[in-house]
Amino acid sequence: MKAFSYSRPDSVRDAVAGVAADREAKFLAGGTNLVDLMRLGVERPDALIDVRHLLGHDIEPTADGGLLVGSGVANSDLAVDPRVRQAYPVLSQALLSGASGQLRNAATVGGNLLQRTRCVYFQDVTKPCNKRQPGSGCPAREGSHRDLGILGTSEACIATHPSDMAVALAAVDATVHLTGPGGERTVRLEQLYRLPGDDPSRDTTLEHAELITAVQLPPPSALYRSSRYRKVRDRASFAFAVGSIAAAMVIDDGLVREVRIAFGAVAPRPWRAHTAEDALRGQPADAADFAAAIAAELELAEPLRDNAFKVDLTRRMGAAVLTELAEAQQQGSGR
Amino acid sequence: MRVTATVNGETHQIDDVWEGESLMYALRERMGLPGSKNACEQGECGSCTVYLDGVPVCSCLVAAGQAHERDIVTVEGLSDTGELHPVQQAYLEQGAVQCGFCTPGLLVATHDLLSRNPHPSDPQIREALAGNLCRCTGYEKILDAVRAAADRMDGGPA
Amino acid sequence: MTSIPLTSPQGAPSDTSSAADGRIGENALRPDGTLKVTGEFAYASDLWMDEMVWGTTVRSPHPHARIVSIDIGPALATPGVYAVLTAEDVPGANAVGLEHEDQPVLAETVVRYKGEPVAIVAADHPEIARQAAKKVVVEYDVLEAVTDARAALDPASVQLRPSGNVVRHLKVRKGEELPTAAVVVSLDFEVGMQDQAFLGPESGLAVPAEDGGVDLYVATQWLHVDQRQVCSALGLPPEKVRLSLSGVGGAFGGREDLSMHVHACLLAMHTNKPVKMVYNREESFYGHVHRHPATMSYEFGAEPDGMLVYGRAEILFDGGAYASSTGAVVGNGGTLGLGPYRFPNVHIDCYGVYTNNPPCGAMRGFGCVQAAFAHEALMDALAERVGVSPAAIRKLNGVREGDVNITGQVIDSAAPCEELVQILLDMPLPAERSGADLLSLPGGVANSTHGEGVVRGVGYALTYKNVGFSEGFDDYSTARVRLQVIGGEAVASVHTAAAEVGQGLITVEQQICRTELGVGRVVVHPKNTQVGSGGSTSASRQTYVTGGAVKAACEAVRARVLAAAAQVCGHTADDLALDGGKVVARSGEVVLDLAELLGDAELFADEGVEETVEWRHRPTEAVDPETGQGNAHVQYAFSAHRAVVDVDVDLGLVKVVALDTAQDVGKAINPDAVLGQIQGGSTQGMGLALMEEIVVKDGHIMNPSFTDYLIPTILDTPPMLIKILEYADPHAPYGVRGVGEPPTISSGPAVAAAIRQATGKALRRVPIRPEHITGT
Repeated sequence: MKAFSYSRPDSVRDAVAGVAADREAKFLAGGTNLVDLMRLGVERPDALIDVRHLLGHDIEPTADGGLLVGSGVANSDLAVDPRVRQAYPVLSQALLSGASGQLRNAATVGGNLLQRTRCVYFQDVTKPCNKRQPGSGCPAREGSHRDLGILGTSEACIATHPSDMAVALAAVDATVHLTGPGGERTVRLEQLYRLPGDDPSRDTTLEHAELITAVQLPPPSALYRSSRYRKVRDRASFAFAVGSIAAAMVIDDGLVREVRIAFGAVAPRPWRAHTAEDALRGQPADAADFAAAIAAELELAEPLRDNAFKVDLTRRMGAAVLTELAEAQQQGSGR
Repeated sequence: MRVTATVNGETHQIDDVWEGESLMYALRERMGLPGSKNACEQGECGSCTVYLDGVPVCSCLVAAGQAHERDIVTVEGLSDTGELHPVQQAYLEQGAVQCGFCTPGLLVATHDLLSRNPHPSDPQIREALAGNLCRCTGYEKILDAVRAAADRMDGGPA
Repeated sequence: MTSIPLTSPQGAPSDTSSAADGRIGENALRPDGTLKVTGEFAYASDLWMDEMVWGTTVRSPHPHARIVSIDIGPALATPGVYAVLTAEDVPGANAVGLEHEDQPVLAETVVRYKGEPVAIVAADHPEIARQAAKKVVVEYDVLEAVTDARAALDPASVQLRPSGNVVRHLKVRKGEELPTAAVVVSLDFEVGMQDQAFLGPESGLAVPAEDGGVDLYVATQWLHVDQRQVCSALGLPPEKVRLSLSGVGGAFGGREDLSMHVHACLLAMHTNKPVKMVYNREESFYGHVHRHPATMSYEFGAEPDGMLVYGRAEILFDGGAYASSTGAVVGNGGTLGLGPYRFPNVHIDCYGVYTNNPPCGAMRGFGCVQAAFAHEALMDALAERVGVSPAAIRKLNGVREGDVNITGQVIDSAAPCEELVQILLDMPLPAERSGADLLSLPGGVANSTHGEGVVRGVGYALTYKNVGFSEGFDDYSTARVRLQVIGGEAVASVHTAAAEVGQGLITVEQQICRTELGVGRVVVHPKNTQVGSGGSTSASRQTYVTGGAVKAACEAVRARVLAAAAQVCGHTADDLALDGGKVVARSGEVVLDLAELLGDAELFADEGVEETVEWRHRPTEAVDPETGQGNAHVQYAFSAHRAVVDVDVDLGLVKVVALDTAQDVGKAINPDAVLGQIQGGSTQGMGLALMEEIVVKDGHIMNPSFTDYLIPTILDTPPMLIKILEYADPHAPYGVRGVGEPPTISSGPAVAAAIRQATGKALRRVPIRPEHITGT
């Protein structure tokens, strides 16, 4: 058996130093993805540095009125936090639509963001995969790609990011706190992920030994309060998304004052639909326009034989959730 | 490496944990507690559900090392009285057990549900047990069992 | 050579006993239930023995290739490895199989599917075994793979066998060759490959014995057919290959074929150590046969009022690389493939072919499930064309008792098609959707829809299934029943080899003993090959056939006891019965205490009274190969389903709101267990309609995990109304009719019909995916 170590360092600093010193070392938190990938042979770390006990397990208010979510907070705890449910319903909904109770209990916020793709070629070590083994090729384009990406993909890789939570976080403009050998920094959630281009092996912009310590939610606002997550999957629970949408919108005097839209399960990262948002902002809140704006975003799509349905699915879901948000506000304002 | 954990109130120690070794493997093959079941080993079926520090998790996705110095309760530890726990009794009497491979995980998940919510509605039961696959029963008698256990633990229907 | 400990493994099966009440017709509890809820029940994967080592399997990465060379050196040199074996090490015939011995234990010169076993490894730790398996160097010369069943049928295609690619072609011909009809409907239908998805993975423990034989503890469906194949492969006589049933975590057909049986025995005999093998889920997907995927073309002709005139069908089953039970599946597809309807004229061609896809074989519903999707879709199309309801078209055309069916067999017991459909019509429909509760909407808690595009649909299906093994098979079971005094109490014990896989056969065995022998406590001995064959736990047959054997053995025991009682008490044996632990006269008078009678050393030996009976149902006969005519089946079991669905037509999501069943079970030996079978069977059928498919691309399974192969969760599964009819079959013990399979056959087509009704889409393929409903 491969030489292998497991350790529980006493500080984040020691943990980072431990991973920094060993290219083959990995941080371990909830384990729900990494332990599985190790069993599959996709991940073969020689050292597991357990950081679960070191990561923040609290959800604390920030000076500006937002929330700082420790990266060790369990998905289940974040989902039911009353402040989250009230101020960022999209986030709570996304979390509850993912996995199962047992997995949400074990999975951490940081680990959720760093899940690897569910592409079957990535998961099967006997098959080529540019993400797992750079340069080995991508059989998915010709092969099994019904669940794979239509946006932001490349010749080298069409994998999607599997997280529901990350899609919601993208829609509420979350930032991610990192600590690494070079010190601490923050990135916007969108910037945490990179597109595959020629090098799909790296999912994120994290450097080796950089650790997610927290996720920061901006101050509550009418926009984030008026938010929704929708997910289509192949069964009623416990399945990865075939497509999903996180959206937030405020309407003022019949006009879209502000809007956030992120697509899930269609791209290598949560896909902030900036084109659609720009098209809607300041325009009348009209169902036909919602569909058109989402469609404009999807102009960029490069669907393949078996996942072309995701274009229409995403458009329909997007139009429906924006319409729902608009109607809710009209009702809420008594009109 | 050496792992010491409390399982069902007793201290267990195992040595030479290997890469990829899960808590489920450690329980089943090293600690003589095969009650937690090995159906998918990917966290998808819930058959290996155990309490880890009081929270139900899939033991197949917990690295054995992570169990060090933690408290675990398995299906074998649901009752410490020598009698069946009301949840166990209800599964037995309601015909919620056929092949029984999913049963240990469902018992832990049901035990957890009823400790948090003594009178769950049917939708709440379904949501709480959605992480446990059963291939034999079609779930109807599992719902019956959870309702019956809730009644039994409460001394009668709510 | 180390000596073998003679103790049996931890977790080896032992007697189960219960004194609970529960005769025929009552809801007796499972005797293994307490062990199952405490976690103490030992499944095959829980077996454990001192000094045991772990076996693992090296499998082919190619769907079709010639083996150029195998180098086991690096694997064998791995510390902790005890043995690496290949085809060369198979001492007996390197060929096993249920119907045709066409499958090597370990591939010799050619691999014919991805995942085919090529070598086996034993090591002192499962992870070492897995790592060593990766070091077995196999050089392959990749061959062209046949992965399309239609192409395989083409004589110009690569021929995978000397006999060609066709495993079986069954023709069914009745009436006119080219009949005409006023109304003609036709359609093509496709059914994806379903997995049994039993939760307990393939596993077992082989223990080498001092007599040069082996003891195998294994989770299986038919110990004796396994024993036959293991003996053949090991070159050993049956007395040296002893099988015991270990705890089985579900089966559903997937354990009819061998998996790790011979491999573990080979490794055990080679290492002289107990060898345990446990598949993981991925290996399980490669390690057992699946339900045949099918492509079907159907045409029905009818009178203007909808009365059927003819049925034509071509059914093509992809059997994959080895025959398994493809021949019998073709038999069912052909003889039962038009459903339980009256057809004056019939023309069916049913094929099963070899390809280089994963082997397919038995799964609950066995050949009828696939055909039911087609014939039920066509019945709905016919109803629409002639302007009657789906229920009416089925009531009009359903077979009745006394009818001659499409293979010329008289249906000589109840055939309540009309009544089953009427029962469903009379059941209350679920309430209209309230819209308030997200969990009641398609997509559930995922908040997929708030009901904008949701449409309700209702669908019906009516199907039937043969019970027991057909087409002349010598189908029997053996039971050994003993009545003796234990602790001052008259106790029955029952020993059969019939596999308990979760369905509750052992409960039924106890109920029969209690009923026939009038005792409370019944001991069920472990299932093993120390008694004659029980036949397969398949084809909904065990309550019928093994139940029949247990009943017959009880009757033989009872006859001896009552004869002895008659000597003692002056009543005639005919005037006596056993009840409540007493010998009673027909008048109700208690004549003797049974325990006292049995304890009479003059009359009985210490071990009491024991009888062993081999019991057969009525013989069936082979069908004519050119016409399919003949008395192929012993019994037909009918069921009907009504599905109510809410479909989000924008997003393609389906929520099954209700899935109601009407089924004739002849006699419900254990009504609760019958309900459990119907609920579970219905759910599996629904799974095939909505989500379950092994996706095979170029011979490779793309989703060998429960992450990607989805089975229904508790949130997918609706409440079910169930009405049971009990029309006794006069030919069957207690009048029973097989229960397990019918609901799996009719539930899926009802769900598909409901979705068609809601969406107006043709939907000629299952599983129905969101993109099929949205059309893009």
